[in-house]
Amino acid sequence: MSLLELKNIYKIYGDLHALDDVNLKVEKGEWLSIMGPSGSGKSTMMNIIGCMDKPSKGEVLLDGVDIAKESAKNLTMIRRDKIGLIFQQFHLVSYLTAIENVMLAQYYHSVPDEKEALEALDRVGLADRAKHLPSQLSGGEQQRVCVARALINYPEIILADEPTGNLDDANEKIVVDLFHKLHNEGTTLIVVTHDPEVAEVAQRTVYLRNGRLHKETINQHFTGEIKFDNEVSV
Amino acid sequence: MFFRMIFGTLIRQWKKMLMIAFTIALGASLATAMLSVMLDVGDKVNQELKTYGANITVVPKENSVLNSLYEVEDGGSTGAYLREDELGKIKTIFWAFNIVDYAPFVNTKAKLDDGTEITAVGTWFNHHMELPTGEQLDAGITSLRSWWEVTDGKWIDEQSIENRNVAMVGSALAEKLGVRMCDEIHLTGSVSDLTVKVAGIIDAGGDEDNKIFMPLDTAQTLSGLDGKVDSVEVSALTTPDNELAVKAAKDPKSLTIAQYELWYCTAYASSICYQIQEVMTDAVASPVRQVADSEGAILEKTQLLMVLITILSLIGAALGICNLVTASVMERSAEMGLMKAIGAQNSSVSGLVLTEIIITAVFGGIAGFFAGYGFAQIIGHTVFGSAINMRPAVIPIVAVLVLIVTLAGCIPAIRMLLRLSPCEVLHGK
Ligand SMILES: Nc1ncnc2c1ncn2[C@@H]1O[C@H](COP(=O)(O)OP(=O)(O)OP(=O)(O)O)[C@@H](O)[C@H]1O
Ligand SMILES: [Mg+2]
Repeated sequence: MSLLELKNIYKIYGDLHALDDVNLKVEKGEWLSIMGPSGSGKSTMMNIIGCMDKPSKGEVLLDGVDIAKESAKNLTMIRRDKIGLIFQQFHLVSYLTAIENVMLAQYYHSVPDEKEALEALDRVGLADRAKHLPSQLSGGEQQRVCVARALINYPEIILADEPTGNLDDANEKIVVDLFHKLHNEGTTLIVVTHDPEVAEVAQRTVYLRNGRLHKETINQHFTGEIKFDNEVSV
Repeated sequence: MFFRMIFGTLIRQWKKMLMIAFTIALGASLATAMLSVMLDVGDKVNQELKTYGANITVVPKENSVLNSLYEVEDGGSTGAYLREDELGKIKTIFWAFNIVDYAPFVNTKAKLDDGTEITAVGTWFNHHMELPTGEQLDAGITSLRSWWEVTDGKWIDEQSIENRNVAMVGSALAEKLGVRMCDEIHLTGSVSDLTVKVAGIIDAGGDEDNKIFMPLDTAQTLSGLDGKVDSVEVSALTTPDNELAVKAAKDPKSLTIAQYELWYCTAYASSICYQIQEVMTDAVASPVRQVADSEGAILEKTQLLMVLITILSLIGAALGICNLVTASVMERSAEMGLMKAIGAQNSSVSGLVLTEIIITAVFGGIAGFFAGYGFAQIIGHTVFGSAINMRPAVIPIVAVLVLIVTLAGCIPAIRMLLRLSPCEVLHGK
C-alpha cells in the first residue's frame, strides 16, 4: 500500500478548478518533486496533503486513512504526528530563538526537549546559532531552522513548498543536501519547486498544469546530489 | 514554553497590551467607583437628606388643629403639650431602626434686661440615649440641623457641659445684642430668671437667627414647663408612598387587615407617623411632605443612574477591548497560522491569546480598582461631602465584571482565530 494516495481530487473555487481530477501515489521513502507554472495548483495540493485544507471532491489516503473526511481537530493531530512542513517564507516566531522555534513544534506535539531540539539544529548545522533570534539569522539559516523544526517530531512525510525559492544557490545546496540526508534515513519527501535543478534531484517529478497532472518523469540516474548547470561562483 | 510565548507577546506588543490594560482599567475604575458609591450611597444620600432636616413633625393634638388653621407659630397658645418622658418611646416603635434622629422643642418668651422680648427655644443638642435594645443614640439639633453654621464658638456638647445654663444665639440676635462667645445674657422667663453663657453663634439662614437656643431643661425652668415639650421633629428613613400609603394616611381604619399589616410593616412616612402617635399621648405626627416623599425616590434614581453609568462604561470597555484584541490577533495571524500548522489545536491557540489578555486584564483591573477607589472618594467628597467606605463586596463584583467584560471583548478575536486556516496565512496570500 502506498503511503499517500490521491484519488480523483478536485479543489474548486467558484468556477475555478484549482485541482482537477488529480490522481497520485507516493510510496514510503520516496522523494517526489512537483513542478508547474504559477497558479497550476501546487500549493493547493500541498495544503490538502498537509491536512490544512480539504478537497472539494475525492479521497486522500494517508496511511490508509481518508483525511478528506477527518474533522479539523483530527487533521491537526495527523499533521502534528505525521507531517513536517517547510515553507517558502520561513515562518519562524520572531520573538523565540532558533532552538525555541524548534521546541515549539515539540511543545504542540508532546513535550519540549531541549537536548533533542539542539540535536536537530546540529543536524542542519546550526547548533552554534541555537540562541539567536530569527532576525539575527540569514535567510538560509532561517530555512534550516525550519527544516530542523519540520523533522523534530520524526514525521513520515516532509512537505516543502518552494523551500529554496528565497535562497541563493549555496543555501539551496545546503537545503537539498539536508533533504538527501533525510531521504537516506527513509523520510518521504514531497517538494514543490520552480527550479528544475532542485526538481531533478528527486527520484520522480510530476508536472501540474491548470490543476491537472500532465507529465511525470523518473530520474534514471538518481543520486540525491544536486548538480548545477553552471558552476557556482562563491 | 507556554509562558515563554506569552511573555514574548506581552513584551513585543506592549503598546497594545498597555492600551488593553488601560481600557480595562478605565472600565474597572468606573465600575469600582460607581459600585462603591452605590453600595455606600444609601447611607450617604440619607445623611444628605437628613441635612434637609426632619421629615416628620409631632405636635399636641389641639395645637395641630390650630396650627393648620392659623399657621400659628411657637405653639403653646392652647396650653397643650407633649410629655417629655415619652420621647424615648419614639425609638421603640416598629420602625425604630429607621428613626435616625429627632429633637424636641419647647418655645418660650423671655425678656432681656432692657425689656425686649425674645424667643427662647429649649431643645436637645446631642442628647444621649441608651435604648432598651442596647443601642445608643445621640439625638438633637447638632445633627438634625447640621447645615446651621456655627460662626463663633461651637455646638453645645450636652454630655460634657457642667453648667446647663448655656445657649446658642442666632446670628441676627447676637448682632443686635452685640454678644459673642462666652458673653453672658440675663433672661427673665415667665416663672424664673437665669443667666446663660453664650456657647456659640448660629447662622441658620432663617428666622432661627432671631432666637436663642438652650438645653431643654434650661428653657423649661425659665418657663415653668417642666417635663413638657411643644413639638418634636423626627428624621426617619421612609419608603416612597404608594396608593396603599395614601389610602392609609387618610384613614388607617379603611384598610383590610392584610392591607393594614402590609402598611404597618412598611416604612411609609404615614405608618411611621401612625406608630409615633401610638406611643405618644395626644400627639399628632405628620409627614413634612416634600422631603419625606422625595427621599426614597432620590435614592432610587441615584442608584439607577449609577447602574446605568456602570453598564455603559463596561460596554464601552468591552468594545474597546474587542477592537484592540482583534487588532492584536490580526497582526499576529501569520504566527497563529504557523502554530496551527505545526500542530497547535484551536484550544491551545485561543488559550494562549486568552491568557495574555487575562494577565493584562488583571493588571488593568487592579490599577482600575485603585483609581476607582480614588474616584469614589472624589465623588464622595464633592457630591456627598464625606468619604466613601469601600464595601468588601465591591472587590469580587468588580473582578467578575472585569472578567466578563474582558472575555466578551475577546469573543470576536477568538472567533477569528478559530476560523483562521493555516494555509491562508502561510503562503503569503
Ligand atoms: N482560497 C482561494 N480562493 C480562491 N481561489 C484560490 C484560493 N487558493 C488558491 N486559489 C486559486 O487556485 C489556483 C491555484 O493556486 P495555488 O496557490 O495552488 O497555485 P501554485 O501552483 O501554488 O502557484 P504559485 O507557483 O504561484 O505558488 C490559483 O488560480 C489561485 O488563484
Ligand atoms: Mg504556491
